[in-house]
Amino acid sequence: MTTVALRWVHRNLFAKPFDAALSLVVIPLMAWAVYAFAYWVLVQAHWQVVGGSFKVLMTGIYPADQLWRAWFSVATICAMFGAGLGLSVRPGRAALTVVALVVTLTGVMVAVAIDAHSGMLAAGSAALGVAAWCGVHRSALDQRLALSGLLAGVVAIFVVLSPPGFDVWGGLLLSVVLTIAVSILTLSFGILLALGRQSRITSLRLISTAYIETMRSVPLILVVYWIWIIVPLLAPDTSVPGLLRGMAGFALFFAAYVAEYVRSGLQAVPKGQIEAARSLAMSSWTLNVDIVLPQALRVVVPSLVGQILDIFNGATLVFIIGLTDFLRAGQMILADPQNSGRTYEIYVFLFAVYLAIGGVITYASRRLETHLARGSR
Amino acid sequence: MNAIQVPAATISRDVIVGIARLNKSFGTFHVLKDIDLDVGRGEVVVIIGASGSGKSTLIRGVNGLEMYQSGRLTVDGFDMPTEADREIGGERELARIRKGVGMVFQQFNLFPHMSALDNVAIAPIRVRGHTPDEAKANALRLLERVGLRDHAHKFPDQLSGGQQQRVAIARSLAMAPHIMLFDEPTSALDPEMVGEVLDVMRGLAREGMTMMIVTHEMGFAREVADRVVYIDHGRILEIGTPAEIFDRPTHERTRTFLSRVLRH
Repeated sequence: MTTVALRWVHRNLFAKPFDAALSLVVIPLMAWAVYAFAYWVLVQAHWQVVGGSFKVLMTGIYPADQLWRAWFSVATICAMFGAGLGLSVRPGRAALTVVALVVTLTGVMVAVAIDAHSGMLAAGSAALGVAAWCGVHRSALDQRLALSGLLAGVVAIFVVLSPPGFDVWGGLLLSVVLTIAVSILTLSFGILLALGRQSRITSLRLISTAYIETMRSVPLILVVYWIWIIVPLLAPDTSVPGLLRGMAGFALFFAAYVAEYVRSGLQAVPKGQIEAARSLAMSSWTLNVDIVLPQALRVVVPSLVGQILDIFNGATLVFIIGLTDFLRAGQMILADPQNSGRTYEIYVFLFAVYLAIGGVITYASRRLETHLARGSR
Repeated sequence: MNAIQVPAATISRDVIVGIARLNKSFGTFHVLKDIDLDVGRGEVVVIIGASGSGKSTLIRGVNGLEMYQSGRLTVDGFDMPTEADREIGGERELARIRKGVGMVFQQFNLFPHMSALDNVAIAPIRVRGHTPDEAKANALRLLERVGLRDHAHKFPDQLSGGQQQRVAIARSLAMAPHIMLFDEPTSALDPEMVGEVLDVMRGLAREGMTMMIVTHEMGFAREVADRVVYIDHGRILEIGTPAEIFDRPTHERTRTFLSRVLRH
């Protein structure tokens, strides 16, 4: 054991003089940095500020007596994510153990930070996700069915969350719900644009191309802001909530990028596939839905997941139209003079949460990729 | 005079593919020149010729994968839309023709994201509106017929070339076609797999399936063909029984071609 470790150290850290020198400088530096950070996290930091403002960080100004709606959304999102995992990843013993640990830990942390009631709800939601994972995997659910389940989940979240008004949505909940809804919208709109760009109908092709190129040459903030100011001009008598306007802006912007990814996938599908489908008398609809798109999307899954991450991270920009997303919620807490000294705590917390969610999405995408690679390319 | 004597015209064969003065160009390249060919029901027509002679283009035209500019092409009594017709749509007419025409490609073109079973069952489900259960039961029967029942749940990349081509044949048969087109079905196969595919095709011929086959397997052509068509530079040079074409070709070009392909 020790010899193996020594050999590894020798080969990887001290193989050549330069390596050795580099290692001697970098390793102590890193060790010091890790120690200093850990010391700060465990000893110096005042995490009460996170616990005390947890409700604001998670839901912004959502009415406190309506929080069951937020919990419903959390549970639904967990279940949807679990079901998604169930389609592609076998819930192995090791994975389940890790997940169970994380679930318990989250529950305990939430219980300590807020109260036991919330801890139970958090752990319960996560457990629901695990149950969905195992259940869906066991039942070998049809993928189409899963897709309609996903859509139903998103609609349910919107229906349940909306009664207090769209303007009070906020915090991490806003960021996540916005990301999910915008991802679904962009994917469908993007696929249509990509197909439009390849269409035999010239006008459709021109419009799609012009749209994609225009959107790709302007900044996201511009589109979001522009949609925000133009909607009241177009429909002066109705008041479309800022949230929906923001979502529209995001969806319209990112659809152009999705369209380009999908187009590269479409081009990767061999011509013989289309000829085979045509020779079986398939309509253009069947040909696209059953033969071409599954193969095209499989190729671009990594890019599309990258896109979801972009949307999630880009969602921080909705503050410019007055919405309180996760990052903005953190800044709101810091704006309270009482918390003025807690800048590091809040930002480290934001960083950790963004990192955790990003990591989970990336992990899921890797597994999805492996899953989709079954069958030949 | 006997009153029940039938005029000669009405006892002509039941024509399933009628090709008359068909012309096709790719840009300025004139691929098919004044092709005339009728294929009768139950007939096996083998088309031979050098590569680039237009033989693949001809049979790809029969299910509308290639468009033609002038002439007439009828399949099952339906008129194939010309290139000009297809500018203004025509996919629906094409689909109607294609339902009756099966096609097997050189590169198999199985759907890589579906199991062999789903490859065979998908078109009957989506095009003919069969229920998944009946389509899959029928697909299993067809896979059994091509000797691949045990491989039904494998994906194309888990099958050998010969097995893939047999799945492709089963996939075409699932649409219950009136005519099967084979575009060099064994050209992409390793030599030891050619036999298994030809055996399936022989079986089809025995059962009376109408077939148009482009192939370089001359022994097979001689064995199964009712008629052999020799195409040279886009023109049909000779049509005849295998004996006529292979043993007594009338054209010098046919003779040269055959001497080249039959030498090995």
